[in-house]
Amino acid sequence: MEEVCMGFGQGGILWTHRGSWFKILGFYLIFYAFLAGVFIGTIQALLLTLSNYKPTWQDRVAPPGLSHTPRSDKSEIAFNLNDVETYLTYTKAMREFLVMYDDDKQRDQMKYEDCGEQPEDYKNRGDLESDVGIRKACRFQRSWLGPCSGMEDRDFGFKEGKPCLIVKLNRIVNFRPRPPSSNESIPEGAQTKVQPNVMPIFCTNKREEDAGKMGEVKYYGIGEGFPLQYYPYYGKLLHPQYLQPLVALQFVNLTMNTELRIECRAYGENIGYSEKDKFQGKFDVKFTVTNL
Amino acid sequence: MSSLCLQDSYDMFEMNGEVDVKMKKKKKIKKKDRLEGMKKEMDIVSLTSSKAAEVLERDGPNELLPPKGTPEYVKFARQLAGGLQCLMWVAAVICFIAFGIEFSRGTLGCFDDLYLAITLITVVVVTGCFGYYQEFKSTNIIASFKNLVPQQALVIRDGQKNQINAMDLVVGDLVEIKGGDRVPADIRIIFAQGCKVDNSSLTGESEPQSKTPECTHENPLETKNIAFFSTTCLEGVATGTVINTGDRTIIGRIASLASGVGNEKTPIAIEIEHFVDIIAGLAIFFGFTFFVVAMFIGYAFLEAMIFFMAIVVAYVPEGLLATVTVCLSLTAKRLARKNCVVKNLEAVETLGSTSVICSDKTGTLTQNRMTVAHLWFDNVIHAADTTEDQSGQSFDQSSETWRSLARVAGLCNRAIFKPNQESLPIPRRIVVGDASETALLKFTELAIGNMMEYRERFKKVVEVPFNSTNKFQLSVHELEDPMDLRYLLVMKGAPERILERCSTILIKGQEMPLDEQWREAFQTAYMDLGSLGERVLGFCHIYLNENEFPRGYKFDSDEMNFTTSGLCFAGLISMIDPPRATVPDAVMKCRTAGIRVVMVTGDHPITARAIAANVGIITEGSETVEDIATRKHIPVEQVNRRDARACVISGGQLKDMSSEELDEALRSHPEMVFARTSPQQKLIIVESCQRLGSIVAVTGDGVNDSPALKKADIGIAMGIAGSDAAKNAADMILLDDNFASIVTGVEQGRLIFDNLKKSIAYTLTKNIPELTPYLIYITVSVPLPLGCITILMIELATDIFPSVSLAYEKAESDIMHLKPRNPRKDRLVNESLAAYSYFQIGAIQSFAGFTDYFTAMAQEGWYPLLCVGLRSHWENVHLQDLQDSYGQEWTYAQRLYQQYTCYTVFFISIEICQIADVLIRKTRRLSIFQQGFFRNKVLVSAIVFQLLLGNLLCYCPGMPNIFNFMPIRGQWWFVPIPYGILIFVYDEIRKLGVRRHPGSK
Repeated sequence: MEEVCMGFGQGGILWTHRGSWFKILGFYLIFYAFLAGVFIGTIQALLLTLSNYKPTWQDRVAPPGLSHTPRSDKSEIAFNLNDVETYLTYTKAMREFLVMYDDDKQRDQMKYEDCGEQPEDYKNRGDLESDVGIRKACRFQRSWLGPCSGMEDRDFGFKEGKPCLIVKLNRIVNFRPRPPSSNESIPEGAQTKVQPNVMPIFCTNKREEDAGKMGEVKYYGIGEGFPLQYYPYYGKLLHPQYLQPLVALQFVNLTMNTELRIECRAYGENIGYSEKDKFQGKFDVKFTVTNL
Repeated sequence: MSSLCLQDSYDMFEMNGEVDVKMKKKKKIKKKDRLEGMKKEMDIVSLTSSKAAEVLERDGPNELLPPKGTPEYVKFARQLAGGLQCLMWVAAVICFIAFGIEFSRGTLGCFDDLYLAITLITVVVVTGCFGYYQEFKSTNIIASFKNLVPQQALVIRDGQKNQINAMDLVVGDLVEIKGGDRVPADIRIIFAQGCKVDNSSLTGESEPQSKTPECTHENPLETKNIAFFSTTCLEGVATGTVINTGDRTIIGRIASLASGVGNEKTPIAIEIEHFVDIIAGLAIFFGFTFFVVAMFIGYAFLEAMIFFMAIVVAYVPEGLLATVTVCLSLTAKRLARKNCVVKNLEAVETLGSTSVICSDKTGTLTQNRMTVAHLWFDNVIHAADTTEDQSGQSFDQSSETWRSLARVAGLCNRAIFKPNQESLPIPRRIVVGDASETALLKFTELAIGNMMEYRERFKKVVEVPFNSTNKFQLSVHELEDPMDLRYLLVMKGAPERILERCSTILIKGQEMPLDEQWREAFQTAYMDLGSLGERVLGFCHIYLNENEFPRGYKFDSDEMNFTTSGLCFAGLISMIDPPRATVPDAVMKCRTAGIRVVMVTGDHPITARAIAANVGIITEGSETVEDIATRKHIPVEQVNRRDARACVISGGQLKDMSSEELDEALRSHPEMVFARTSPQQKLIIVESCQRLGSIVAVTGDGVNDSPALKKADIGIAMGIAGSDAAKNAADMILLDDNFASIVTGVEQGRLIFDNLKKSIAYTLTKNIPELTPYLIYITVSVPLPLGCITILMIELATDIFPSVSLAYEKAESDIMHLKPRNPRKDRLVNESLAAYSYFQIGAIQSFAGFTDYFTAMAQEGWYPLLCVGLRSHWENVHLQDLQDSYGQEWTYAQRLYQQYTCYTVFFISIEICQIADVLIRKTRRLSIFQQGFFRNKVLVSAIVFQLLLGNLLCYCPGMPNIFNFMPIRGQWWFVPIPYGILIFVYDEIRKLGVRRHPGSK
């Protein structure tokens, strides 16, 4: 080894020497094999130090994002209620998303349990590292989403110009969202929605000039927000059946034929917003509904 | 007729080169016409104004035309269009295009491309400005010749004397010059009275040349009847016709010769170009390969172009050229403190690779000051102290003969000190008088004391000045003892003439009859001194008979009505322009450093040889062909030329040699002296050395040296004695005129070459860990581990300081005992250095980076295997709930900040490994424990600074959105440390191997 690595050191290589190519090749084979061994060993050692249930750090993933279905390019939802084609992609996405919330999927008593239809406190299912194993998930019934459940209206109100959005708070392992403790940081319209054990969500017009054009927004779901009994999330391994609580928003009185920018925010003590991240604790969406 | 003599001899001075060959034919015809015309016009003595105007129209004004230079904007543009610069332009353009397209699509983060483009352009422009500034500093050569042009000239036109602007002089004009004037053009003297001119700036002769109307030599530089443009008339008056004006004058030709000589590329420039070509080639190769691979894998064209751009940015060492420049200028500063001023930065290294020094003699190797070197009295040759500061040994001055000899030398002397110089040391005082009298005056002043007062004690009665027919000078003095009424006659002159007039000789204060035995002793001494290349003068005296020549006797200097024979011989004094004290040692050091010193001088062969032997250019025991012939008593032709180590070639011989013969002479004789050479021939000698593959340094001070200085790989001019033209043509100026400073320069040059090698190796290493993230990103589709802006921060901020600090590294071994590097073999960057940096150290660094990258990803929730193939989801702007290995959902921006975290982590890994890298680069053979960790303080502080800067980038608020740095977990700083240790240990093992088996290199 020493002999060889000298030959290829800075001193100079006899490139032209017959057979030296094989030596070089051989040397590099050994060298890279050694390095790759060290690398793989290190990575293995690293993986051993990781917990199976909870990431070592959650520097970037918290506070959680607020994501909605249907997604759209450039956050723009534009459709013509007379033309099915224009909103088919949206309704299709919503139907696909809600499939896992179908009642027949939640029948298994070993995996699911009822957590009540009223907001309750966190449901503690033991420590992450304890030997309890797989934890049960709370059931979430589509019907709680009312007209936005897609059970009666397969078009989620799009046909009538009263489109629904389904909103969820992004999952974070072991994250316990805390409802707002006071009304101070919450806009006036949302203050009525504050109640114990629920994370309220509230939508407003983003631009001043859109004031009044948005119309009424109806909120469906437990407590019209994210109820605490669904938290904390125990991670993919311990909580494979986990269902996030959903909130459906229905814009029942949108001004037609105008571009409206609507911003929805979830409120809570440990919900943060960032200028750079448009989807952290909030999102905004642009509605253009035409009926011509 | 002198005009004929002129015509032939001028051709000897003709320059070679294409332009001149073309001009030659034309000129010959023209010149004949012109000279014919001049003959006629000489009859009417002066030109008419109308004729003068006509000639002026034809020949142009009498001034030196500046050479056509490259326009400044072209020079600047050239700085922006180097190999690496072009690549960076391409990268910037791609960035702009990508920005344009992404901006129109409204993609988040598209401004990164814009920033990147702007940064790249800034880097190119700033580096370009830096380079342009360096080039701008080396001043224009012709400007200094211009300063020599006289403003006014006294011309006779229309039979009247006019003061006109020297610019308007034309061929055929009759001009008058007097002491203190500058000669306004090349002039053939037709009348002169005691006219002496100083030709030193033109020919290197330190003595003033007298000018008379006779043509004494066919070489125009040697003949007495031509005075040259721009030389100074020291005394007397002269009238002459203008024979050449403007660029056609001798100095004009030297000027055009100097500016016609292209600026040779410095060895370091060649080296840098060599490896820039390699780097640029590799960058394009990698970029293009992965462009094709990306297209093949199925990326869009725009994406593939961005990959190409990113690979170029990752691979090109942006900060390298700046590093090299800074390293060189640091050395230049260090040299400046040791009195070597470097005009062209790259020349700093050139001295290090120099294998031949062609040195001028006068003023460079010697003091350019006639000094008494030896005395012969009492039948013994005594050596005088010739050192500049009188620190040498003196001889025994107790003899009575010495007192007499000193008295003759002091009294028979017309030279006087200029007043008000008492504070200056005697050797530095300014003297009015010719060179040998000056030497004698200073010598006696040192030996006896105040000579001015001494002379007053011996009142001078009469004197006969030196002339070329009797070749002696005498004076008669009263004695200092007022009671002694005898007169003392003192005489000095050519030794054999003096001896003829003597009948006795002074030995230990006693007058002895001058018999055959003494004559023989005299001859031996005279020959001995002559062979040392010294100018020998004989001295004698006599006390005149009191009765024959009583007080008040009328001495007549013309008739010489007094005793001038039967004198008493006192002794011989020989003078030489002695070598500088430091020179022999410096020549010796050059020799140990494998550098050959060749003397090229305008002086006579014997003097040149003597000085060469004196300073060690010709070593003891080396013989020339002629020496061997004399020793063996065989004809010169029968001597085997290879037996002669030394060789003295004069300009006359050189003229008849072909360039092959000259090459052969340079090859077969290691010790060479060229004497009586013209500026043209100096150039030929330099070219010949370069043909033999040597890197040539030329030292010189006169205008005559300037073409050779320019042609040389490095021209070194003398700061005090040097003419402006020489200083301008040179790349380096020795402020203290000390040849020994060259040795310092060589040492520093070699050191900087070694250290640049280390710097470059250090800089190149990190290109691999910068490049591999992209390759893995493209091929395995992991989230991007390292961004372009981060790469630029490494290249241009954190790594600059350590790489510059390597310039402060001390030499590993005694570099002055090694041979100069072979420019063809010992490259700055060779394959093995590149392979070692890239594929071994660089590879380890890449692994370190990826280890840390996967650590950061895994600890935040993204397991390595999940990362593979994740790219398209990861970079999907609309996907706000991408699940990681734990089922957590990430928004796009969260993922982006995680990606920035990865950049930072990768950055930190490279930094940590680079610290190990800079430590291993400190030495190439020695163990770092032998070299010492902390001896290079600059390097230590550079490492500290690098770490601080890294911390600033990581933890300063606002960095995430400016430079894409995230505050990272402290633990991630430690992940790459084992790899750093691995690099260190691995290299120590390699060095151990190299030390144990030095042969296997």
